[in-house]
Amino acid sequence: MDYPKIVKMIPVEKRGAISEKLLNYVLKSKKEKKLTSGMAQCFLLQWQTSTFDNEVGLAVLLETAAVLELEKTTEFLEQECQLAEVAKALKETIA
Amino acid sequence: MVKFGIEFVPKEAYWKTVYYAVQSEKRGFDNLWITDHYNNRNVYVTLAATAIYTKKIIFGPGVTNPYLVNPVMTAQSLASLDEMAPGRVVLGMGAGDKTTLASTGIEAKKQLSAVVDAITIFKAMLDGKSVTYEGKVFQVKGTKFNFKPRGQIPVYIGAQGPKMLATAGKIGDGVLINASHPKDIDYAVGQIKMGVNEAGKNLADIDVTAYTSFSVHKKPEKATKAASPVVAFIVAGSPNVILERHGIDLDKANEIRGALKKGDFGGAFGSVSPDMIEAFSIAGTPDVCIQKITRLLKAGITQFVVGSPIGPNARKSIDLISEQVIPHFKE
Repeated sequence: MDYPKIVKMIPVEKRGAISEKLLNYVLKSKKEKKLTSGMAQCFLLQWQTSTFDNEVGLAVLLETAAVLELEKTTEFLEQECQLAEVAKALKETIA
Repeated sequence: MVKFGIEFVPKEAYWKTVYYAVQSEKRGFDNLWITDHYNNRNVYVTLAATAIYTKKIIFGPGVTNPYLVNPVMTAQSLASLDEMAPGRVVLGMGAGDKTTLASTGIEAKKQLSAVVDAITIFKAMLDGKSVTYEGKVFQVKGTKFNFKPRGQIPVYIGAQGPKMLATAGKIGDGVLINASHPKDIDYAVGQIKMGVNEAGKNLADIDVTAYTSFSVHKKPEKATKAASPVVAFIVAGSPNVILERHGIDLDKANEIRGALKKGDFGGAFGSVSPDMIEAFSIAGTPDVCIQKITRLLKAGITQFVVGSPIGPNARKSIDLISEQVIPHFKE
């Protein structure tokens, strides 16, 4: 499944809070080398032109967070957001 | 109207620093300063990326030094950046940190002359002509770019001591004062005025900038806790005359110096007292920060720089400053 489709599985009312949390994971991650230059550029371009709490932005952020901090991201989605299906789809996509 | 600047140390991957740069632009900051230390990411790589992803914020190295980067190369870097972001580039030049320079085998001799030489060469190179200059520290002979720079770039001088402050007033377009307390700003403005008068300029011609250690959070204890490590290093690096100006107990300052020397960071940070926080940082809730910035404005600053650590969480603190601090001064 691609990331925009995973975002569609997330209820609109939860997207803002998820975006906040994932941004913290991404910006505090020490696994920076995992991010390819293309992904870093995609992340910055999205931030330059828009935000991370809309559908397109959250898809970019979700992918970035999954690459950098998969465990934290899926745990957060499962346990705090009660979105086990989203977490599962994310794991399958990144595998 | 006071300008708000923000400082970032490029200690993480470039895209994180650029993320914060873009955030700062979106949140209403006017200026962005990137520090230049050999042990972090390269300042010009970071600034080039910043140029690409921002469109209006003014930015530059804050500060570079002429010992590690030859002034001709600084002029080349800034002229190139000025092509990427026309009219948005400024130079911050200081004497550099002696200890850091020593670790690269460089002895920072004749600091005042070095800075004057560097700025003279920098300005001459930006004129695009062949430059010959015989300074006390730096000399160039028939040096010329194979391209035409867009023009002059404002020069800010990082200064703390009386002579450097006066020189900044004399030859700079701005001064970056490493201070967070009105006593230090008062003193600095007095010295800058001397240089300004000597050059026949007006103080209004100079962007008097407080380059502060800043930490904001809705919970004051979180703000001060985040500021403590930075303040510990400031206390350890400050001459006793400055500590005495603020009534800091020299024994306590020596305790911090000793702990840092031993690598006992917990001990050092834990020894930072409230009077040290008060003297060397602007830390607290948004309301407290507003009060302290107001005192600096009264002392004569025209730009306020939010420096490290910014807050316990830089991203959230930038939003908080944008929502609750900047509007107080700009609306």
